[in-house]
Amino acid sequence: MSLAILIGVFVGGLAAGIPVAVTLGLASMCYLLSAGIPLVVMPQKMYAGIDVFVLLSIPGFILAGNLMNHGGITERIIRLANALVGWMRGGLGLSNVAGSMLFGGISGTAVADAASIGGVMIPGMKKVGYPGDFSAAVTAASSTVGPMIPPSVPMIIVGSLSGISVGRMFMAGAIPGILLGIAMMVTTYVIAVRRDFPHQPWQGFAELGRSFLSAFWALAMTALIVGGLLSGMMTPTETAVVASVYAFIVGVFIYGELPLMKVPKVVIDSAISSAAILALVGFANVFGWILVSERIPQMVAEAVLSVTDNKFLVILLINLFLLFIGMFMETIAALIVLFVPLLTLAQSVGVDPLHFATFAVLNLMIGLTTPPVGVCLFVCAGIARLPLAPVVRAIAPFLLTNIIVLLLVSYFPVFSTWLPSLIFD
Amino acid sequence: MPKQPYAAVIALFRFAVGLAFAVLIFSVLVQVLGRSVFNRSPVWTEELTRFALLYLTAFGVGLSYRSGDLVNVDIVSEALPGRLPFILRFVSAAATVVLCAALIVPSWRFAMIGNFQTSPALGWQMSYIHGAMLVLIGSLLLFALLRALAMLTGRSEGRPVSDADTPQ
Repeated sequence: MSLAILIGVFVGGLAAGIPVAVTLGLASMCYLLSAGIPLVVMPQKMYAGIDVFVLLSIPGFILAGNLMNHGGITERIIRLANALVGWMRGGLGLSNVAGSMLFGGISGTAVADAASIGGVMIPGMKKVGYPGDFSAAVTAASSTVGPMIPPSVPMIIVGSLSGISVGRMFMAGAIPGILLGIAMMVTTYVIAVRRDFPHQPWQGFAELGRSFLSAFWALAMTALIVGGLLSGMMTPTETAVVASVYAFIVGVFIYGELPLMKVPKVVIDSAISSAAILALVGFANVFGWILVSERIPQMVAEAVLSVTDNKFLVILLINLFLLFIGMFMETIAALIVLFVPLLTLAQSVGVDPLHFATFAVLNLMIGLTTPPVGVCLFVCAGIARLPLAPVVRAIAPFLLTNIIVLLLVSYFPVFSTWLPSLIFD
Repeated sequence: MPKQPYAAVIALFRFAVGLAFAVLIFSVLVQVLGRSVFNRSPVWTEELTRFALLYLTAFGVGLSYRSGDLVNVDIVSEALPGRLPFILRFVSAAATVVLCAALIVPSWRFAMIGNFQTSPALGWQMSYIHGAMLVLIGSLLLFALLRALAMLTGRSEGRPVSDADTPQ
């Protein structure tokens, strides 16, 4: 009965448009009241959920990305991407994907990527003759690369849930992220050839060199983050804060595009974004604790295993379920609520936790670009001033590409486990 | 100086969340510089960083509710006809108020449990640290209440806002 209340309030609250964190809290509260458990458990579990060492790095990475974003990196990254691939058929589409891959090494969230790259690229692409729906679709689709390439907020969350180190999680996402980017470039190129999209003239090695130098300080942040984590000299939190200081210096003093007066606003807005994620983690920790006490992870595993214990099919079922959930639920909330139950299931058929974590994050990233609640889809359609329907149609080939990459990463663990093993073992 | 009481509340919380973040950054930098430059590793920095994160969350959650950073799934609720989306937005604010109001006393009790403990490195009474959950619940309650009242008095549609001009 208590469990039915938990699930009922949760689904009803989500449908009514109540914030996900509050819905998790309400559902947990109703469960505790019906089970006669004192409510003091809630602040206790919330505290325990937020007071996790790994989560300390989230505000720092969000701030570093936002400082860079306000400090003039977007144009520099796009210029470099243009010089690299803009001369090919569908060049601006390819630049868009390349820009997202480079931007992904700086920002930890897909929405920031979609808004920043899209804000410059979508109007630019439309201006030279690309259809608006394609421009919005390629931007939205490629923004999912961002959270796979380190740094990545979802990977930090997964690290906190699974106990896998953030460094390992970051490295596990790197190759799938690059693979996703390359696959999206191939898709863009094929569409460009078929629809005869324009290309720009080759700008020469001099421009390539100049644009690289111009973007160097922004790109060096990726090296700073990865180097800081891999060297073992800094914890993820320290790496994130040092990256923020670096982004501040680059934005204010080197690029000179971030006015000092604007910095407090960027800091406070980053803190607010972080608080939203951490509050979600806190409320979800209560919900997750209830699921574990009710032995839901084991029940899910037993239910699925009673149908099949074939590893291939179980991975397929997990992916189908996550793709469905990702269509309706916010990524981080879905990760927090579902990660532990599905990890139990995955481990019962011999899937490595690091491998599972990587394809689960990749899967839920795809949800950012699927209707009806794909946030990146909305952001890009908004920038292109288009209704959602044509953008949804235009994104279909990219979704197919994303799913192919997801299947590759799901069925070939080497994509996610090889790099972390090489570096850490 | 903000003219409206709600603007003063927003400014106060923005200051507090900014201060918590500044403490977090300061504490981490002391640790990094201490270890790499001065060859000394202060033991209190890790604890202070964690406490700053708890208060960053506590002060920031109400503002994130206001700005819409505290995400919701509005695909069903906003697609309904007539005044139903407005009503559901009000239900959402009211549900947030109910949750937080019910958690105020438990959060206070949780804070009081900390009276019996002190933090190992800083020696601070843990009730002040556990109190972050009381602040978190209180800040969410305050901003949900402001939105609900603004909707009841016809001064807000109940949608997330990022400027300080909307009275919620």
